[in-house]
Amino acid sequence: MTLGQIALWGLVVGFIMSLVVITGFAYTTLLERKVLARMQARYGPNRAGYIPLPGRGKQERKLLKGFMQPAADAVKLFFKEDNTPAFADKWVYNLAPMLAVIPAILVLAVIPWAGDLPWLPEQYDYFAIVPGLNVAVLFILAVTSISVYGIVLAGWASNSKYAVLGGLRASAQMISYELAMSMTIIIPVMLANSMDLGVIVDAQKGGYYVFLQPIAAIIFCIAVMAELQRAPFDLLEAEQELSSGFNVEYGGMRFGMFFMAEYMKMVSFSAIAATLFFGGYRGPFVDQVPMLGFVYMFGKIFLGLFIMIWIRATFPRLRYDQLMSFGWKKMLPLAVLNFIVLAVVMVMAEEGAFDALQQAVLGIFG
Amino acid sequence: MEATLEASPAGDSPAIVADPVVDAIDRLKEKFPEAVTDDPREGYNGLMVNASQLPAVARTLKDELGFDYLSSLTGVDQIEDGKLEAVYHTYSIEKGGGSVTLHVQVDRDNPVIPSLMPIWPGADFQEREAFDMYGIHFEGHPDLRRILTWDGFNGHPLRKDWQEPFYEDAQKPFGSRWPEGNAVHRAEENNPYGKNVQYPAGWVPTGEEYDVETDMYSILKGNDGHTVDRATHMKTDKLTVNIGPQHPSTHGVFRMVVTLDGETILDLKPVMGYLHRNHEKIGERNTFLGNIPYTDRLDYLSSMGNNHGYVLAIEDLMDLDVPERAEWIRILTVELTRICNHLWALGFLLNDLGALQTPMLYFYIERELILDFFETLSGARMMCNYMRFGGVAYDLPDDVRGQPTMAFLNELVNERLPAALDQADRLMTYNEIVRARSIGVGFLSRQDAIAYSMAGPILRASGVNYDVRRAEPYSYYDQLDFDVPVFYNGDIYDRYRVRIEEMKQSIRIIKQVLPHLEATKGAPIISGKPQYAIRMPRPGEAYGRVENPKGELGYYVTTKRRSSNPERYHVRATSFINLTALGKMCIGHKIADVVAILGSIDIVLGEVDR
Repeated sequence: MTLGQIALWGLVVGFIMSLVVITGFAYTTLLERKVLARMQARYGPNRAGYIPLPGRGKQERKLLKGFMQPAADAVKLFFKEDNTPAFADKWVYNLAPMLAVIPAILVLAVIPWAGDLPWLPEQYDYFAIVPGLNVAVLFILAVTSISVYGIVLAGWASNSKYAVLGGLRASAQMISYELAMSMTIIIPVMLANSMDLGVIVDAQKGGYYVFLQPIAAIIFCIAVMAELQRAPFDLLEAEQELSSGFNVEYGGMRFGMFFMAEYMKMVSFSAIAATLFFGGYRGPFVDQVPMLGFVYMFGKIFLGLFIMIWIRATFPRLRYDQLMSFGWKKMLPLAVLNFIVLAVVMVMAEEGAFDALQQAVLGIFG
Repeated sequence: MEATLEASPAGDSPAIVADPVVDAIDRLKEKFPEAVTDDPREGYNGLMVNASQLPAVARTLKDELGFDYLSSLTGVDQIEDGKLEAVYHTYSIEKGGGSVTLHVQVDRDNPVIPSLMPIWPGADFQEREAFDMYGIHFEGHPDLRRILTWDGFNGHPLRKDWQEPFYEDAQKPFGSRWPEGNAVHRAEENNPYGKNVQYPAGWVPTGEEYDVETDMYSILKGNDGHTVDRATHMKTDKLTVNIGPQHPSTHGVFRMVVTLDGETILDLKPVMGYLHRNHEKIGERNTFLGNIPYTDRLDYLSSMGNNHGYVLAIEDLMDLDVPERAEWIRILTVELTRICNHLWALGFLLNDLGALQTPMLYFYIERELILDFFETLSGARMMCNYMRFGGVAYDLPDDVRGQPTMAFLNELVNERLPAALDQADRLMTYNEIVRARSIGVGFLSRQDAIAYSMAGPILRASGVNYDVRRAEPYSYYDQLDFDVPVFYNGDIYDRYRVRIEEMKQSIRIIKQVLPHLEATKGAPIISGKPQYAIRMPRPGEAYGRVENPKGELGYYVTTKRRSSNPERYHVRATSFINLTALGKMCIGHKIADVVAILGSIDIVLGEVDR
């Protein structure tokens, strides 16, 4: 393939996938509201839109009540007044939402959605916007750190003390947890011996890494929750404390972009977690029917989203200092230790240190 | 049953020799022969104290005689005598029983009374309130500013000669606005300013009025410029943040001015009064009966308890007896209110701890049932307006939610509520994050809790075994078998657990009440025929206090003979006084804790601002 063809592929597939994921984001908000509502013994949104069914007698039957709610929310956000506070740094104030939302979409570039589909160009081994990127894991780390800027700058540019407090919490929290996350993100890389996400997924053919490295998987999931500012780590928007933290001064669609960034990141991090530890698009019969990869991938993303919502509905929030000490004193040492032990074991295995043991075990059972 | 009721209030009868109140009064008179005398007025049973000797008397009362709890402090305008009066109700935590009431009268033109802040820090807000309402200057108070009205308010609204811009009359019912029948007269037209505001002399409302705020900012600790780090020459500023008045976690229009060093609280000042409507002035204009619905609006989550305190005070003045069935119904409704309130309070406390709304909404399921019962009982879910002088307004309904009332109540207290509390225990009480967030946070020691006049669950979470239902039993509480839950750590977690345990005790009380309700079916629920136009048979004062869910709620009412309106009507608002120690509890903690501590105090702004 020429460079132009690669670019064209990226554009077309990227456009389609972005549309899919943005719609998915909208429905993630609905999912969250519905699931939260059911967990809290309420109904949730059930007014905007329904599918009428022919009812028996006078009884009217409605299906999927409230499925147009995301559209109603979007319309509301677009038509709301979008004002800028006095003495705000206007340029940065307007830039910040974009800085938050763009990385959230960019991450999706490297996610493998399905295996070797028959109609793929022959150079590509799996279906992604940018397949075969050999620094994909680094790309994820680099891009997700950019979104911190969006939040910090939003807090700083708003000329509000609440927003500053929220922004400062954000920077501290996201940087702290990014360390632990990086230490665990390396582990699939070491196991698969590649930074290409497709290769990492393929390497999980024998068994998902969550079974091989459960500690790493758990630390990764917790760090992702913190990175995403989801409960119980949602300190920077902490409604009860900072009213809504860094985005308190934003309204209309600029607020909507922060909202969008949060939910897009939920989707993309669910996808990353699925890829790194839960076998990505792999599942039963996926080698025979590659299209099943999409199903498995969406299923795993949905599961990730559901668990995040579930946690939000059930846990109180940690305090800022508790969050920090948890991140630095518990998660990071554990992640580093896990990483070192795995590295040593792998090198020893390569050098043949376990050969004698293996022979002995085989001797017993063989 | 009537006889037991007569004998029940401990310490009322002077025949008992060891009565701590009588003993304390005698010893005070012995020690301060010039300064302390019996109150000579008819119907008043406190002590008259010379203003200059007040701190010494209070010190003796607190340290030597054991009356260490300043329950209520308020002003009274005795305009006929040209005097302003301050009334102090002190109680003994150790011995329980009645109050030693101190009356201090000073000249109306130069009202100066020594502050009791050094002895009882809990006098802080109450003295500020008396200053605000009556202009009594409390000498030695470190921060004597207006508290409920705003800083540019003209005059002191509870003085009898103060008139608001649209003044019509001193007492209800007002005369006809159109005495001739057709002339349209509006009181608004009498206002010389043409608008509903008066400014004090010399006050220029030009936007400079925000200057009054500098008073508050300047007394905040740590708000004195920046510090410079020697090594790096970096300047560090302290940040002053206003949490509120518009804030999701202040439980209403309440404001906390906070100085921060990073996330740590250096100092905190509560600011209230945004909802102030001068409930006491309204109460003084209302007829006695007409004021009952207004008491609903104080602590609007526990209106039954509010009614109860008020009718107790008035029944004391009128010497009314309450029929047996009415007393049992009162206890039933008040204890249901307590459960209702605590479910709400804990739901919101957990919400403040960040547990979204899930626990809150789980608690609401049971609360709804109680509110449904109130609705069928009184016609209203929250503003019940249910109690009357000498009884209650309506008998129990036949059925609630399609179930016979007794079956409904039995199911509620035997199955639904215990199950809900067990669920709360399982899901939240031992939750790791709840414990991490609340244990050791917002600590208040036993001594401080008493000195700051804390009441209710906060007092009992600090290890003080004091419950008005036990200390000075009213209604039939002396015949009921229940425990007063006390915890000893004085932090948020213990306040949470006190409330859980109190609900269990309330269930226990209701279980004992239900057989009595069965037995007294059809008995009268109000003594005599309902009285609408009440004339007080005797002059005097009364202080009716009840253990409301949020703590001790007191009504101080004075009246003249044949009067249809109270002369002075004061509410000892629990939420308001419990806020006195908020600053002390918060200092040194993080911002997130402030919200949780406020949630653990459990305030209702209707009662704070009145």
